Amino acid sequence: MPSGALLFQSVILGLLLGGLYALLAAGLTLYFGIMRVVMIAHSAFLILAAYLAWWSHARLGVDPLLSMVVTIPLFFGLGVLLQRLLLARLRPVTLTMMSVLLTFAIAVLIEGLLGYAFTGTQRRIQLGYGSASIGLFGARIAVVKLIAFGLAAVALLTLYLLLKRTRFGWALRATIQHPDAARLIGIDTDRIAGFGFGVGLATAAVGGTALALDTTIYPSLHWHWIGPLMAIIVVGGLGSVPGAAVAAMLLGLVQSLLQIPLGTTWAQTVFYLALFATLAFRPQGFFGGRLAQRF
Amino acid sequence: MTSRATRTSRATRGRRATALGAAVALLLAGCGDDGGSGSSDDPIVVGISLPLTGDFSEPGKGVQRGYEAWAKITNDKGGLLGRQVELKILDDQSNADRVVADYEQLIGKDNVDIVVGPFSTRLVVPAARVAEEYGMLFVEPAGAAKEVFTQGFKNLFYAAPAVADDHYNHLAEYLLALPPGQRPTTVAYAAMDDPFAQGTAYGLKAKLEAGGVRTVVDEVYPPNTTDFSTIAAKIAASRADMVVGGSQYQDGVNLIVALQQLRYQPKLAAFSTAPTSPEFAAAIGNKTEGILAPTGYTQKAPYPSNVEFVEKYTAQFGSPPEEDEANAYTTGQVVAAAVTAAGCAEQGECQQKLVDWIRGNKVETVVGPLTWDATGKPQGAHMIQQWVGGQIQIVLPTEAKEVDIVYPKPAW
Repeated sequence: MPSGALLFQSVILGLLLGGLYALLAAGLTLYFGIMRVVMIAHSAFLILAAYLAWWSHARLGVDPLLSMVVTIPLFFGLGVLLQRLLLARLRPVTLTMMSVLLTFAIAVLIEGLLGYAFTGTQRRIQLGYGSASIGLFGARIAVVKLIAFGLAAVALLTLYLLLKRTRFGWALRATIQHPDAARLIGIDTDRIAGFGFGVGLATAAVGGTALALDTTIYPSLHWHWIGPLMAIIVVGGLGSVPGAAVAAMLLGLVQSLLQIPLGTTWAQTVFYLALFATLAFRPQGFFGGRLAQRF
Repeated sequence: MTSRATRTSRATRGRRATALGAAVALLLAGCGDDGGSGSSDDPIVVGISLPLTGDFSEPGKGVQRGYEAWAKITNDKGGLLGRQVELKILDDQSNADRVVADYEQLIGKDNVDIVVGPFSTRLVVPAARVAEEYGMLFVEPAGAAKEVFTQGFKNLFYAAPAVADDHYNHLAEYLLALPPGQRPTTVAYAAMDDPFAQGTAYGLKAKLEAGGVRTVVDEVYPPNTTDFSTIAAKIAASRADMVVGGSQYQDGVNLIVALQQLRYQPKLAAFSTAPTSPEFAAAIGNKTEGILAPTGYTQKAPYPSNVEFVEKYTAQFGSPPEEDEANAYTTGQVVAAAVTAAGCAEQGECQQKLVDWIRGNKVETVVGPLTWDATGKPQGAHMIQQWVGGQIQIVLPTEAKEVDIVYPKPAW
């Protein structure tokens, strides 16, 4: 029987991990919501942002968090271009299927370019506060994990406010809910979809930076992430940002706690069990997300 | 093997048509003289099949450079038994079927005097089988896996200090020799689910458990694990005196940082592979002090032949040798010692004399003195290095140390 202290520590670690998962999955569910695009390259963009954060720290000496000043607008722009120039050209009938192939190609391309530019050597940002932690009732909270959690909270809150309180957000949600009706009331859905995709990719810039703070990165790392992230957005309900956030927190917590009795290998299967259970019993997802029903 | 595994992935990029050209050139060079007659003027022809193209081309070329350095250094000193050493290298294209044909050709058709091993465990076993059929001595520079030593080979010798399970032997000896009050009483193990990485940690675990040191955590994680915080939490909660990581690279680094974040302060921390990487200090910064790692080869090892090897190799190739080069050179040294002692180098009865001599003797090499058991498994252990004063230095065994081992290690 694990001690109370270990359980408490694991709950804290699980919540911190869940917060990171929520941030990393946010963009993924947004793309699907906006235009039924399965974006395999999302995690590759995360690693790209992580590399840019590492590079700006190692070569330019600036704090990795500052790299977001450049990467967020850059990724937003890339997202808009990606949607307008590539994804918008796919035929609507086969869009979901073909987007898997297209974004898979993009993922491989990014991985190859990262290997070419930075070599396959595994990198880690060396921060003065990398191993610092603060105490909380006997448990330790690593400063870098707390920063990552904070980034996730701010990014998700901003996304939420953007979607709920701005005209752009209303237009975007209208586009998500019913593109034809949105066009009828005068929304330029193509333009909105492009911006929406840009917003999704901008979350990858934040997520990648958060990831880089406390992980060793290498070009092929994204393959380890795409599976769990896909599971999270399906469990959360495809297209639902709050759903993905709740699913991410829950799965992160369960994974962390299951690791105590079961060990790492079996604890990882929680994502796939949850994915399987969701598809078998509630394909539209457990939290919101009416979109998947249309399949 | 770990470093080899990572190198293999890089190696796939290195396919070049030029490698084929190089192989042909070497083949022609090797054909200059038909060896095997055994007369005192003929060169001693050493036959080797190496992966010069394909998946293992990068480490394969490293092994090739090691053999070439050995041939040159030996010849510069007058050769073996007064005869020059000549290498005949074929390219097996990293293909196990090819490697069998290559050794058949080297022994049967080209009538070479000696054969030595190819690269990677996968290719060592089929190659050794051919050598065994022809009754040839087979010293090999790669193939640390258990399977190599369970095939019943009688002529095979692995020219390296130790197989994975024995990497930590010097550390186990040191710890068990400590007075009971200072000896660690509890140990936490975390190992990647990988035969090499896990082998190192479990080899130490078996020895410490036999010595009465209790195992309090025994975690195995899959190679794709990226988050080590909960494993670290389990280790920290156990308050083990010592932590041992059967790691490759990123897992070792991530686990060390996660342990530091939880303010876990063991008396000793030992991790395979990661701490010897040049990137390690760049990742962890000034928090490396006291971390231990086993290592099969280091340019700094004080063995007399190693000093000569590093100097002459660097002069020949422009950069110091790494582990692959050193393993090939070691193979050459073992063969040379046997040939010199037996006084012969040709096919036939001589081969058994060479095998018998190696079986019964100790050979001084660039990785230290080597001896073998009946299966050809080396009886040594890896040197233990520790981060002391901001750099990684040899601390065990005592006769090879650069500085004293620091135990208990300073807080990280």
